[in-house]
Amino acid sequence: MKILTCPLNGPRNMSEFTYGGEYHPTPDHADASAREWAEHVFFHHNTAGVVTEWWCHNASSYWFLAERNTLTDEVLRTFDCDQLYNQRIDFSAVTTPETRK
Amino acid sequence: MDPSISPTQTSRRSSLYRRHSQLNAEFHSFGETIAVHHYGSDETTQAQNLGLADLSTLPRVGFKGAGALAWAEQCGVHFPQQPNWASKQPDGTLVARLSSSELLMIGDYSGHSPLIDRLAAADRPERVYPLPRADSHSWLALCGSHAPDTLAKVCAVDLRPQHFENGRIAQTSLAKINAIILRSDIGNLTNYAIFSDSSSVEYLWDSLLDAMAEHLGSPVGLQALIDNR
Amino acid sequence: MPFGLLKYGLSSEYPAQQHFNPAADLKKHYDVVIIGAGGHGTGIAYHLAKYHGITNVAVLEKSYLGGGNTARNTAVIRSNYLTEEGVRFYRESVKLWQNLSNEFDYNVMLENRGQLTLAHSDAAVRSFRWRAEVNQHMGVRSELVDRQQIAELVPNLRMSEESRFPIMAGLWHADGATARHDAVVWGYARGACQRGVELHQLTEVQDVEITAGRVTAVLTNRGRVGCGAVVQAVAGASSVVANMAGIKLPIHSYPLQAMVTQPYKPLLTPHVSSPHVHVYVHQTSRGEFVIGGGSDPSPLYNTRATLEQRESLSAAALELFPFLAQARLLRQWAGTTDMTPDYSPIMGLSPVENYYLDAGWGTWGFKATPICGVSMAELVATQKVPDIIAPFALERFYRFEQINEAGATAASH
Repeated sequence: MKILTCPLNGPRNMSEFTYGGEYHPTPDHADASAREWAEHVFFHHNTAGVVTEWWCHNASSYWFLAERNTLTDEVLRTFDCDQLYNQRIDFSAVTTPETRK
Repeated sequence: MDPSISPTQTSRRSSLYRRHSQLNAEFHSFGETIAVHHYGSDETTQAQNLGLADLSTLPRVGFKGAGALAWAEQCGVHFPQQPNWASKQPDGTLVARLSSSELLMIGDYSGHSPLIDRLAAADRPERVYPLPRADSHSWLALCGSHAPDTLAKVCAVDLRPQHFENGRIAQTSLAKINAIILRSDIGNLTNYAIFSDSSSVEYLWDSLLDAMAEHLGSPVGLQALIDNR
Repeated sequence: MPFGLLKYGLSSEYPAQQHFNPAADLKKHYDVVIIGAGGHGTGIAYHLAKYHGITNVAVLEKSYLGGGNTARNTAVIRSNYLTEEGVRFYRESVKLWQNLSNEFDYNVMLENRGQLTLAHSDAAVRSFRWRAEVNQHMGVRSELVDRQQIAELVPNLRMSEESRFPIMAGLWHADGATARHDAVVWGYARGACQRGVELHQLTEVQDVEITAGRVTAVLTNRGRVGCGAVVQAVAGASSVVANMAGIKLPIHSYPLQAMVTQPYKPLLTPHVSSPHVHVYVHQTSRGEFVIGGGSDPSPLYNTRATLEQRESLSAAALELFPFLAQARLLRQWAGTTDMTPDYSPIMGLSPVENYYLDAGWGTWGFKATPICGVSMAELVATQKVPDIIAPFALERFYRFEQINEAGATAASH
């Protein structure tokens, strides 16, 4: 079986992991339009080549990032998401003309 | 100890109690809880060969969040420097560090943990979230000289004692379900504590007993573990 | 008897049928360029030529005719979907399938086998009831069947109540069918080429030229080709090709693997699928058991076969049909499924004025082939979006109006 190296738990069978989608920065929740949110939630680059994506190690519920080549299925590296997310983001309800519609 | 105690006498029950009753288990109270004392005779020797015990009613709790480790330290908890290791506290409670922001605290076999009681009652600052591990996760103990052979049949991680030191943790897939496996020897007895989703523990119990059969393993009561200390 | 066949084969009186024009030089300009010569691409070309009189059309194919997902799918035809928009669309397609061999005078070997989907949980039974109601309302033959009816429909299905996931009920879809997938694309290609459409194989579109919001040409490995309009019909590469036109799509491309056993005597008439144990099984007219399941767990542009999938597909198939334990596998392969968030296709207009999308075909593309030919050709010819495909516009994702068919797949993905 293919082996993926989890930054927390070390090398494990691929079957222990769940794919979590492409990594892309979250829009600014304070003033992103509904269109930007739609794009963020539904649309993907779906690149044929090296991509950065989310993976979860199921047994530890641990989310991390991986760089993987989607043509060869080769994983180039895996790393902790603390490198990209290091502060808490609090959401507050925002009313924009689009959400009121 | 009252030998006539019933497993349904308290609200905290193991999902496996009907299976235990079918095996003519005798239930006793341990601290604040009720667990299987024994099924048959001479389980102390059976545990040294290969035994499986259900400790699901004994205390345990988790804490998670960015502030969890700092808070635990303030509360006087000693936890390992590295994730996936566990260390024993003075009152016998085992503290397992599951990541950079999560701890799992496991009481000893007395059925009472002063540390867990103290932390459960303490005020928690922001970004420290309790995890009800006693409800969400079952707790099985697989012990004896053939325990590593049994685990090798159902788990891809090398858990043999020479490669997996006492106190180490593997969060992995066991018989195709997610589990936290912690090596916590009892004296000289090799022992693995296994925590997995309560809702599938009947499946895991049956699967492990099936895997144990070739090494003549069988269920043992909690008393067999205590007697091996 | 064998001599008669040999004589027929060697006789000059019965020459091998030419399906389409041999590749000629590319012209400098076409009214319509269709990217991808699968069932959809050739179907659109066929309808443009036959019904709209648009014959200055080139179908550009980077590999060979029908060599992509047209050849790789498991040839299931059905219309028992969940939403009104979905059922209407696939219902029209199933109707067109019935007459397809006559339409282009080429035998697509359509067989009305029926399709049975199995429920192993209360939740699945509830959703089947819902589907049956929607289907019947829309004029599709679909009904909830109990264990006894299932046993009669598929006598060799394992009905044990001791199994890990006992079968509780089923959704019987009498309109379910299968056809020879190669014949579909050959029939369309032949009909299109007879009417002047050019099919260019080994012709890869590498970029799209856009001037002032309109496509003016496609750049291929054989040079620049000017065009009045472009239709992309490249299941499995939708995002990659759309990206050339600067269009981002709500798609993730996953491999989907299937396998077949060696041929056996006829044992199984309908398609049998179980979303719960992730498998569908049917027996082809050649006798092979086709076994397919869900998409791979992560996206990949690669049609390799994996041992894990072979193992899990086999385990699931044996759960339903234990007698297959004796069967030998003949081959295993993969196609690439362009999965959309709502498990419905993306058809119609794009942000580029004369660039049309026939994309997001996930695991539902083969059955939709005839209706795509009809409706996409009408769109290109009239520049008006036909009602039947209007709900599948790319814009729906911005309007939060998805056509959710995730509950109507044959195997969960």
